[in-house]
Amino acid sequence: MGRVTPLVEARGLAVGHGGRVLLEEVGLGLHRGRILCLLGPNGVGKTTLFRTLLGLMPPLGGAVFLGGHPLSDLSRAEIAQRLAYVPQTLTTPFAWRALDLVLMGAAARLGPFARPGRAEIARAEAALALLGIDDLGPVEITRLSGGQRQMVLIARAIAQGAEAVAMDEPTASLDFANRIRVGKAIQGLAARGIGVLLCTHDPDQAADLGDEAVLIEPGGILAAGPAAEVMTAARMTRLYDIPVRRDALPGGRLHFSGPSGREDQGPVTGAAAGQNV
Amino acid sequence: MMRLRLTALMAGALALAAAALAAETRTITDATGRQIEVPADPRRVFAAGPPAATLLYALKPDAMVGWPRAPGAEDLPFLRPETRDLPALGRLTGKGDTVNLEVLLSARPDLIVDYGTVTATYRDLARRVQAQTGTPYALIDGSLPTIPATLRTLGDLLAEPERGETLAAYAEATFAEIDAILAAIPEDRRPSVYLARGPEGIETAARGSINAEIIDRVGGRNVVAAGPDGLATVSPEQVQACAPEVIVTIDADFAAHVGTMPEWQGIPAVRDGRVYLAPSAPFGFIDSPPSVNRLIGLKWLADKLYPEEARIDIEAEVARFYTLFYGVTPDRAALDGLLGAGHPGE
Amino acid sequence: MSERAAPPLLALGLAGALAAGAMLGPYPLSPVDVADTLIGRPPDPQAAIVLWNIRLPRVVAAALIGAALAAAGAAYQTVFRNPLVAPDILGVSQGAGLGAVLGILLGLPVLAIQLMGFAFGIGTIGLVMAIALALRGLGQVLVVVLCGMAVAALAGAGISLVKLMADPDDQLPAITFWLMGSLAGIKQADVAAALPAIVAGLLPLIALRWRIGLLALGDDEARTLGVEAGRLRLLVILSATLVTAAAVSVAGVIGWVGLMVPHMARLITGPRFDRLLPVALAMGAALMVLVDAAARSIAQQEVPLGILTAVLGGPLFLWLLARGGRTWAE
Repeated sequence: MGRVTPLVEARGLAVGHGGRVLLEEVGLGLHRGRILCLLGPNGVGKTTLFRTLLGLMPPLGGAVFLGGHPLSDLSRAEIAQRLAYVPQTLTTPFAWRALDLVLMGAAARLGPFARPGRAEIARAEAALALLGIDDLGPVEITRLSGGQRQMVLIARAIAQGAEAVAMDEPTASLDFANRIRVGKAIQGLAARGIGVLLCTHDPDQAADLGDEAVLIEPGGILAAGPAAEVMTAARMTRLYDIPVRRDALPGGRLHFSGPSGREDQGPVTGAAAGQNV
Repeated sequence: MMRLRLTALMAGALALAAAALAAETRTITDATGRQIEVPADPRRVFAAGPPAATLLYALKPDAMVGWPRAPGAEDLPFLRPETRDLPALGRLTGKGDTVNLEVLLSARPDLIVDYGTVTATYRDLARRVQAQTGTPYALIDGSLPTIPATLRTLGDLLAEPERGETLAAYAEATFAEIDAILAAIPEDRRPSVYLARGPEGIETAARGSINAEIIDRVGGRNVVAAGPDGLATVSPEQVQACAPEVIVTIDADFAAHVGTMPEWQGIPAVRDGRVYLAPSAPFGFIDSPPSVNRLIGLKWLADKLYPEEARIDIEAEVARFYTLFYGVTPDRAALDGLLGAGHPGE
Repeated sequence: MSERAAPPLLALGLAGALAAGAMLGPYPLSPVDVADTLIGRPPDPQAAIVLWNIRLPRVVAAALIGAALAAAGAAYQTVFRNPLVAPDILGVSQGAGLGAVLGILLGLPVLAIQLMGFAFGIGTIGLVMAIALALRGLGQVLVVVLCGMAVAALAGAGISLVKLMADPDDQLPAITFWLMGSLAGIKQADVAAALPAIVAGLLPLIALRWRIGLLALGDDEARTLGVEAGRLRLLVILSATLVTAAAVSVAGVIGWVGLMVPHMARLITGPRFDRLLPVALAMGAALMVLVDAAARSIAQQEVPLGILTAVLGGPLFLWLLARGGRTWAE
């Protein structure tokens, strides 16, 4: 059977900065229409791994491939054509109109002196429409809610036309309803054949959205594979260094919980009990 | 042996007498009304700024302890040899003080003289410096009409009353001469004048300002009517609009190039070749500094503004003034160097 | 102002300002005289000299310098992702100022003073970049800005030293006046000397105008969109510096324009740099032409431009701050 070339692939990757290795022997592959979740505690090197995969910093070992091409051989524009990025929040100090922000997705395919024309505007409007936020186009982002801004950034990733999208905790600062909306949008991307690399702190979200999960512990990968198989209570307990309990909710979704202030000894047994779910 | 001892004795007695004389003091009132106690015969005098230094140089050069700024190479031939190497000690005139009081004291002056505008600022400065240094500080009014009185007062203060009287008489004669010339020239025949400073010629001094005071005194109608007491900047278009008949400049670069600078073309003074470069060594003719040096500037200006009526032999006048005030008689070549550059249009 | 109405209105405004600039001045010329002189039939030879040798070079220089400072300010604000930075944030004005006042102190001819101002302005930015590169690299905007502040402070100290050494009767007033900015001494030759540098600096800004806007997002985000952020930022900083140094070297230090005009322009266009730049250019040119006309007409004496721009800029800027959210997020 011919091996399908992953959209994003890391082989024997070592990442870190200033010569200090944070993660070693990282291997992962993102495929069309799949959602790959990265889970791990704060400070473990997820962001560094992310930045390395996006070509924002050089690997300390191993290699990254985008659509089979070594990342190191690709120009900035060529990388952007293959892998789009949705940041955690929008940090520009200026009051961009949403449509103008989405238009920026065209930069990878435009020459240095070109400005977006009719075709690019149509693409940007289509991306907004796809997410059901076409009415936000002329609105300044300073007037948008956090969730709306995140949707605009996702629309920009769509307009960028890359087959893979990397998202760095896109729902971290969102309220409950917006978290669900953005989650739906991410699933929508996958349904359109886009591969999504999702970094998240929310195990429930990872289990819900992720086709696959990669658990990252200090030094390297703890486990990787189909989300439901990989995210056991034991592994999650080891990963976050607190007792974690895993429950299956009616409808089959997984729910992870830690010790609550109201439970005394419960979580420990709970975690043990949860292992066989 | 006996003779030698006698001589030594006499010298010692003389020195004692001199010290006693120097130690004697008297009380005077300066221009600010302050009562100050000054030495009867000041031997070491610190001039607070360039105007005072010029005045002191004219009256009692051997009492100078230094210059506010070191004289330039072009000034040296016109200065008494013994003053050429005096140290540059800085100025003490309120705006942009550059003298360090410790440097001032290490020059061991027995009197500080300031000559210039009398305002509350300068009065305070005088009071403060005197309190800090313990050296009497006399402030003398520096306006043009009071020059004869100033020469007498300061001559008296410096124990050089005869010298003061001689110079004061010259100043009075100069004013009288200018008045006589002006009496024969009606207002409407007095030319309009623009004073050009800086290499671009766009720095100037307005009517009534101390930097252009002598233009007013010789009857020139300064085209810049209003401005600060000091320097102002105008645009060439302003000069075009004022259309001065005479331009007086103190900048050699401007004088050399005004004929070819496009923005100055067509101005009557430029058109008629009436742009005059004022000599500046060892002291300026127009201001820099505004002191007794302006007396010869008056005559020079009268000669330039009224060549027909003034009938001044300017070379002889300059030689006389330099001999009298500066103690140096310029020779033919020096006079040509000084005045020759003043004829750019000819 | 709607997007469609903006270009013709701006063009009209700029044309009006230029016309006013040609009409206004202390030399009495009626609008008819000016028009006649422009078409080669001056009422008298002096009118031609005044208009062609003095007033028009000033109007052209003012337009050029206003446009240059506004464009440089818009560029700096975008690449430094801060709507409150001015074109001299990295010390170019202080550096150019030091060069020029040294020239005045040494009694150099005017052209040499301008050249020294220009060279020192560019040299200052070179020094800032070199220090920032040696410390952390140019990616860290804050490090670059702090290096600029430190070097600018050094240049400021140098200026103070020169002032102290200058002849207080002669050179000091010239230095003070230069540091407040003026076009009083401008000549055709000055315009010709500054033009190549200003055009050379503006061309990259104009050519890359859409892409430059993406730098407002921050380096990582811009790079993931396919922009070589580091190189582009360096090019923009160098271009904006070239433009500023050229403007400052002929006109002296003129504050506020580079800060205020991009702000006003952003009210009309929003932050998109490709829309902001032409509007900022036109507004900067028009504003500076009018301010300079006032500088030469208010009194017999020339009023320094720096005073007028500060009198206009201070209150206007406060007003803009008060309605802040409209132009930038906070």
